[in-house]
Amino acid sequence: MATITIDGQSYEADPSANLLQAALTLGFDLPYFCWHPALGSVGACRQCAVRQYRDEEDTTGQIVMACMVPVADGLRCSIVEPEAAEFRAEVIEWLMSNHPHDCPVCDEGGECHLQDMTVMTGHCKRRFRFPKRTFRNQYLGPFINHEMNRCIQCYRCVRFYGDYAGGSDLVAMAAHNHVYFGRHEEGILENEFSGNLVEICPTGVFTDKTLKHHYSRKWDMVSSPSVCSHCAVGCNTIASTRYGSVRRILNRYHHDINGYFLCDRGRFGYTFTDAADRLRRPLLHPDRERDVETVAEPAEAMKRIREIFSEATGVAGIGSPRASLESNYALRNLVGSGRFSSGLPRIEHDATTALLEAMRNAPDGPGSLRDAERADAVLILGEDPNNTAPRLALALRQSVRNEPIRADAGSRIPRWHDRAIRDFVQDRKGPLFIAWPASTRLDDLAAGTHRAAPDEIARLGFAVAHAIDPQSPAVTDLDDSASDLASRIARALKEADRPMVVSGTALRSPAIIAAAAATVHALRRTGSGGSSFLAVAPEANTIGDAMLEGAPLETLEQQLESGEVDTLVILENDIYRRLPAPATDRIISKARRIIALDSIATATTNRADVVLPAGSFAESDGTFVNHEGRAQRFFQPLPPAGDVLEAWRWIGRIAAETGTSKQNEWDRLDRVLTALARDCPELAPARDAAPDAAFRANGQRFPRAPRRFSGRTSILSHLSVHEPKPPEDSDSPLSFTMEGHSGQPPAALVSHYWSPGWNSSQALNKFQSEVAGPARGGDPGARLIPGNGPNERPSTAIPAPVPDDDQTLLAVPCYEVFGSDELSARAPAVAERIPKPYVALAPTDAEHHGLDSGDSLNLLIGELRVSAPVRLDPKLPPGLCGIPAGMPGWSVPHLPARASVVT
Amino acid sequence: MATKVVERKPLNLAERSYLPQIVGGLKITFRNMWKPPVTLEYPEQRPNIPDRYRGVPTLVKDPNGREKCVACQLCEFVCPPRAIRIDPGEIPEDSEHAHVEKAPREFKIDMLRCIYCGLCEEVCPEEAIFLQDTFSVNGLSRAELVFNKKKLYQLGGTLPDSHYKWDKKRDAAEKGGDEH
Repeated sequence: MATITIDGQSYEADPSANLLQAALTLGFDLPYFCWHPALGSVGACRQCAVRQYRDEEDTTGQIVMACMVPVADGLRCSIVEPEAAEFRAEVIEWLMSNHPHDCPVCDEGGECHLQDMTVMTGHCKRRFRFPKRTFRNQYLGPFINHEMNRCIQCYRCVRFYGDYAGGSDLVAMAAHNHVYFGRHEEGILENEFSGNLVEICPTGVFTDKTLKHHYSRKWDMVSSPSVCSHCAVGCNTIASTRYGSVRRILNRYHHDINGYFLCDRGRFGYTFTDAADRLRRPLLHPDRERDVETVAEPAEAMKRIREIFSEATGVAGIGSPRASLESNYALRNLVGSGRFSSGLPRIEHDATTALLEAMRNAPDGPGSLRDAERADAVLILGEDPNNTAPRLALALRQSVRNEPIRADAGSRIPRWHDRAIRDFVQDRKGPLFIAWPASTRLDDLAAGTHRAAPDEIARLGFAVAHAIDPQSPAVTDLDDSASDLASRIARALKEADRPMVVSGTALRSPAIIAAAAATVHALRRTGSGGSSFLAVAPEANTIGDAMLEGAPLETLEQQLESGEVDTLVILENDIYRRLPAPATDRIISKARRIIALDSIATATTNRADVVLPAGSFAESDGTFVNHEGRAQRFFQPLPPAGDVLEAWRWIGRIAAETGTSKQNEWDRLDRVLTALARDCPELAPARDAAPDAAFRANGQRFPRAPRRFSGRTSILSHLSVHEPKPPEDSDSPLSFTMEGHSGQPPAALVSHYWSPGWNSSQALNKFQSEVAGPARGGDPGARLIPGNGPNERPSTAIPAPVPDDDQTLLAVPCYEVFGSDELSARAPAVAERIPKPYVALAPTDAEHHGLDSGDSLNLLIGELRVSAPVRLDPKLPPGLCGIPAGMPGWSVPHLPARASVVT
Repeated sequence: MATKVVERKPLNLAERSYLPQIVGGLKITFRNMWKPPVTLEYPEQRPNIPDRYRGVPTLVKDPNGREKCVACQLCEFVCPPRAIRIDPGEIPEDSEHAHVEKAPREFKIDMLRCIYCGLCEEVCPEEAIFLQDTFSVNGLSRAELVFNKKKLYQLGGTLPDSHYKWDKKRDAAEKGGDEH
């Protein structure tokens, strides 16, 4: 630590930081625009001016930009010095000469960094009396609204979008007073991280278009800490609501996971909670074959369920990787672990089990996104992160700079000095290798790619393991290019300080995961201490569901067939997305009675006898276990309205109704978690993912509403003049009102970022132990999988080479960031971005079958007939075809599989 | 408690006759009978309301018929009895006022709660809400006294505008604003 002097007082500061960062960490309010903790300094906006003195004798000093001054022992500066303060106020005045005074119509108003900084500098009177420059705005797609007049030219947007996220269609144009940030022509912003512009932009140039459709001011929104439910990364979010509907999702900082950024799927996918097909009342289907449904009262539905249970010979439960840990566990407890299914078909179940095994087996446990960001050599084995775990792709994009920076002079440039680092690195990229059948959006960074069938990808992985450590089994019959690539990958991984292997279940291949695990262990044996294994899973709670060790769906089908079971309880799972329709129809028709719980109407709920409306993430408390085995609690921003209840609470009521458990045994989240900890020791730490419901600070709860909440309007007073009693929350230490503890809550309970003088999300600086460091009091969540040290368990056998087959194509699943996720695809803004169904084909295969791009291709996959236009992917190897997974209304489950072309 | 006995003085002749009091009273009556009346025959006659009177809060339009409220929600924020509720909405792209961006989808004031403090008028950055001269509010149900946007514009009517700031913005954009 270095000792620095600010305004005559001595402080300890981190010498690897810059003065602005250090001053903010120490609690000073120093205004800034162009600096961002994740983007570093460029010294462009001239807003963070302070006066720096040479030594104690120096009384003149000079004005410097704090963000460009490295912290060093003996540094002396003054923030309050009048000339520096005036300088800062004048910079604001100059920015205000063009900034329109349209705060009343600006969505940013009330949470605007520019407003905050204007007040902070004390500027209050603009002397400029001439017309302001004006621009024409662009249409930028369904996510982002553009209002260029408000721009203050801080360049943060293009630095994030281009430099950080790798987008190429948002650039700075023109010069001087005419600098314009936009696309070369109107159109959708292509990058899947464009939503972060909303938080990156210090004013209202880029605002959330989905929020605009149901706008509410920040101070009026009731928010709660949530966890994104759209993939397994488990980015921390803040879900904000007003008058009973979710209005927007903001990033909630987690040092080890999402940091400052979310992907667009997570940020804009929330409107499914308000979609027309949301289930809000219990439904009864008197005749499952016919499309007749009646809305029922909960008591009536419960009565029907009691009848169903009393008639049943055996009840089985189908869990879900998108339902919370508590709901899955409650279901397992209701039906017994022998009759509990994970809700996955065998092909996915086996891959997930293998992934979980590899995670448990990994030397230091599964790696986090922060590990990925810091890795200096990465091998991606059978994953397409941009589409299966988008936020991971953003982390990997940063990792390729690490190796060039480490080299010689780069290590002497401070990491915060963004311009210098980028000038030094230029276009050099560290080793990133991608093995995936089709092209990916990380290809522009890759030092090498291997496009092949899943088994060939696994063989490459095993070959890398062998090249690193000959003790690993050798792969026979590997072609020359693959073995060359394997030795290049092995060399890069061995030379790296922090090598990382990324693998997952995308290709549903246990062999690929085993190969990745073998590579990590080979690295560990040969002495690379920092090696890590990063697991990628498809859905929010895939890992949590797998840890409950249910059986695959096929086992359930056998149980139905044998007559052991005749009734199904299906939890938040649309089986039609998991198995081909004929197979699902068989299961459904064999079950005499079906009870389904879900938040959305699906093909499965349409065929259930009783449907109970379960809460989405917005109406539920629960826990998701993310891709690194971290249990994370999400809290409801909305009190459940109408008949909607958390799925675990419904199941608890069913248990009480049918006599399998005592009344009230399952009516509190903490009670479910206690039972879970008792039954599943491995999952016991999930209880500590967040403070329990009894937790208080000074005897007070933590408010969901901000302190400036104006919202309890009296507008319902014509119904009753009495203020309605605020809803109570028995499951969390949060309150639904603004009353409660006014200080900072523990990180797991942060509902909004606000600090005096800091109304924008930049107030986050005050919630961290140091700027860009861990959250105060530690980051939330509890890691469940500690790792296995150097002991490698025996891995799966190396698969044989894929034989040439002229007759059929190998259909492999490919993924779309917008479309492959079931819930976000129902959000109107995301739905606009979902591509039309397609089958990706190599040009040679297309030619062979006499097809061109856009022609209709008919495939027979097992008993399923698939028809879609051809999309040519020149990167796809011959003999393969890619079919997008989980597309709404066009789901082709159960891949990879052999497909024959039907003419 | 201590009690004090007050001696009652006997009335004199003039007092006993009541005549001086009657005459005094009639003097006042006759004096006022010939003066102009100070009371109004309400509701047939209406009082003169001073300019600064704080009557019912209303929403106003500018002389071009544009609704001035832009749904910034500051009045909702400042309202001490929390009587206002605004649902912000967007202005359709093809509207002639599209450049204003926002307008309230719904604007409600609960007149049973309103305390006529005028803070909403004071805080409004668009000069869109005014406490005008309507002072009598009544209805047959509570629901009737939650004034909606339609009712508030009906009460508010059109007021002169000395700024036309949004028109200026549009003109500036049309004249000099083709930067891109």
